[in-house]
Amino acid sequence: MKCAEVRKFVRLYLDSELDAKHSFEVEQHLESCAECAGLFEAEKKFDQRLGRFLRRDTATRPLWKKIEALIAPSRSRGIKALWPVALATSLILFVGGAMFFKSRTLDLANAVEECHSAYAHQITTPEFSGAVPEKIAQQFGGRLDSEAFAYRPSQPAFTSSGARLCHVEGVPVALILGHCAETPVSMIVFKKSELDNFPQTKRKLESGDPIACSRAGRFQFAARVVDDHVVCVIGDEPRPALEDLLKTVRRADG
Amino acid sequence: MDGDEQRGRFLSLLQPIERDLENYSRRMVFNQRDFEDALQNAVLRAFRAFDRYHDDASFRAWMFRILTNEIFAINRKRGRLAQFEIAIEPEEMEEFASVAFATEAPTSWETLADALDEELVAALQKLNDAERAVLLMRGIGDLRYREISECLGIPLGSVMGNLSRARQKMRDAILRSRRRSAL
Repeated sequence: MKCAEVRKFVRLYLDSELDAKHSFEVEQHLESCAECAGLFEAEKKFDQRLGRFLRRDTATRPLWKKIEALIAPSRSRGIKALWPVALATSLILFVGGAMFFKSRTLDLANAVEECHSAYAHQITTPEFSGAVPEKIAQQFGGRLDSEAFAYRPSQPAFTSSGARLCHVEGVPVALILGHCAETPVSMIVFKKSELDNFPQTKRKLESGDPIACSRAGRFQFAARVVDDHVVCVIGDEPRPALEDLLKTVRRADG
Repeated sequence: MDGDEQRGRFLSLLQPIERDLENYSRRMVFNQRDFEDALQNAVLRAFRAFDRYHDDASFRAWMFRILTNEIFAINRKRGRLAQFEIAIEPEEMEEFASVAFATEAPTSWETLADALDEELVAALQKLNDAERAVLLMRGIGDLRYREISECLGIPLGSVMGNLSRARQKMRDAILRSRRRSAL
């Protein structure tokens, strides 16, 4: 390797991002070139100086004690003694509640709730914005099309931060992530032919209701058919607001 | 795994990186009063989602991702938007290495004192959100380029481009301080 080539790799080398072959070649060159070795050393010192500056503060113990205590407050002995009663009560409430909510929650709403919850908790982020990247389109397997990613509400209140491919009950869907004001709102779009996987929602949409609404965990959910796709919106917004948003959804190119 | 066991496992992974998370939060928030809130919210969020964390992923990178999102949300409320849509073309990645390289080699960083830190603080504040996040994730979090790219949801080229620009600005700050102290 020549000096100019070696110097191009200085940052990748110092950040341990260079592959083994190139690292070895850089090291060999540095052993025989004092000028390059000096320049690498200077850059290393810059890293050390910057690192000392960035990491100069030590952890604040009282703060971390407070945070750690918040993670799971310790239970008192009295409460521990009551756990069988609490468990039985919880079970009754849970089963009763689940039966009550199950009858009111659409299958599609249940299925997409996890997707949105991950986004609302900032575990899921957009993969891309704009045109669908080729490597993602290759994963459609003929069950989704790029058009699904082109739907957007025309309401200016909704701002999209990007999209990603997601699977809901095995169905590939376009997950469009956005906000209404400060509230995270997800839009899920998939081919109408996949509606067979969600019979409750299909029945509801075919019964004459243009919009199928439901709760989805702590979120509200609404779905409708637009062209040859099913479009759903879900978020911690009042149901009428979501319905209004959904009514304005159009395919951007159409 | 019961609740106590899960909490114990979470804390055993969290405690070794608390200092780094705190340093990162202090330097990322737009308003210093927010750094504790950002940390607290991020840790609580992470613990709630801990059953979805997989052992094969880096806990450090996972925590930095959650904390970064929390900080951006807080900064957004303060009116400072994160701007990550900086497209870097492949040829710019090539250019990155040469731009990143220090043509002037300072000889003795150690002799520079508090005045330099002041210069660095000012330079750090002047970085845009993307540059600062990438620099701190690398400099404090010790994350790989790929991990930073995943944390921020930006292409690898953008990580390299932002890191290069951020380092150049910090390097300029050091050189400015050195020249000033030589006067």
